[in-house]
Amino acid sequence: MPLLSHMHGARRWSALAVSLLLAGCSSQVIVESSFPSPLVEPLPVRMGILIPEELYDYIYTEEIPDQSLWTIALGDANVAMLEPLFAKMFRETHKVDAVPLAANDGSLDGVLQPTLEKFEFDVPVGERDKFVEVWMQYQLTLYEPNGDTVVAWPVSGYGKSELGRNREDAVQRAAIVAMREVGATISTKFAQQPQVSTWLGEKQHATSVSAPADSVPLDAATVQTQNAR
Amino acid sequence: MEPYKNTDSVIAEGEHVVILARKQHATHEAEEDFVQCISTALTRGDRKLDVHSTKDFEDKMYPWFEPSTAPLSTEDLSHLLERPGVLAQVANTGVRYVVWLDGSTDRVASGGGITCAAGVGGAGCMGLAWWEDDSRYDATVWDIKEATDAGTIHADVKGRSVMPAIIVPLPFIARPQAAACKGLTEQIKQFLTSPQGYGAGPEPGVG
Repeated sequence: MPLLSHMHGARRWSALAVSLLLAGCSSQVIVESSFPSPLVEPLPVRMGILIPEELYDYIYTEEIPDQSLWTIALGDANVAMLEPLFAKMFRETHKVDAVPLAANDGSLDGVLQPTLEKFEFDVPVGERDKFVEVWMQYQLTLYEPNGDTVVAWPVSGYGKSELGRNREDAVQRAAIVAMREVGATISTKFAQQPQVSTWLGEKQHATSVSAPADSVPLDAATVQTQNAR
Repeated sequence: MEPYKNTDSVIAEGEHVVILARKQHATHEAEEDFVQCISTALTRGDRKLDVHSTKDFEDKMYPWFEPSTAPLSTEDLSHLLERPGVLAQVANTGVRYVVWLDGSTDRVASGGGITCAAGVGGAGCMGLAWWEDDSRYDATVWDIKEATDAGTIHADVKGRSVMPAIIVPLPFIARPQAAACKGLTEQIKQFLTSPQGYGAGPEPGVG
């Protein structure tokens, strides 16, 4: 049965070491990769990014009967995938530590929190199966600055990779494909979610309503004064 | 279906080609080393071409050439090229032609057997094992500049390997995937450098 572990900080490496010692036959994978920035137009909002500690330190472990104990560390890859993604998706991003934001903080339009909800993988045993498969599901929760939830959107990604000679390498490659899929879905489909679309419309409307008051050009003010006379 | 070419256009000086694997199938996809084999072979020998790195192209065009987002038709490609920044990014890569590889190498038959034994006086094997692999690949060429399907070529190579064993096993390994790589490379070169040599494609709406 899968055992999902969320561990903090330096405990990640000690957990890996303990797993190594305890498991007579074990497989360790530390998923590492650089992820490209998406080629998308930034959405016209200022977004707070709340990445929970569990995502930075995510480790998945599963004992597969008659095979081995698998330990797959995804924390570094999570950061490498999400940071450039969000930086390109929004006009402005800032890291935040918690939501709701301070009552007088008007610098952000919303806060986005990603979490990794599910991770599954399959390493073939039979001779005819050629591919290692990985499936993962994140959840993106969009909050208003006051902490109200706008939407909790599950995003899944699937990746497969040829088994080859090294099972650990194949799992890593499949995980990277799945994470790229997740990034592709987030960057191309986020704004299309109905609640997000409505929320974006509201933010743009609020901006367009407040813009004249915030930035009345000098000549316009002059015209208004002249008309008043 | 016979190989065909829909256009007289050929690759020009400074224009690049990129080789991509179709990854939408659940059960098969062109192997990474096969894609690499074609990419490398195109840059060598007669009529060598400028080939853009597959990974670099997928990274620069991210997220538009991932398995779930890659265009499946030239109509999809046209829509993609209309997105802000996409056409300019393609131009930056210098890529004019995308070659989509579809297919795989599969074991289609096997049989026989070898028995080995060891004793005080020594060890040895006896028997005959054989297997047959089939490498079937399609290469569909898209002209990004025109947003059109330029044509399709194929490779289908079967190879039977045998391993007789009289005390020592002696493998005679056939490599149909290597032969398919070589054959498809020559066809792609011909396709991209010569306006002739292929029949016209199916008429739109026919079939």
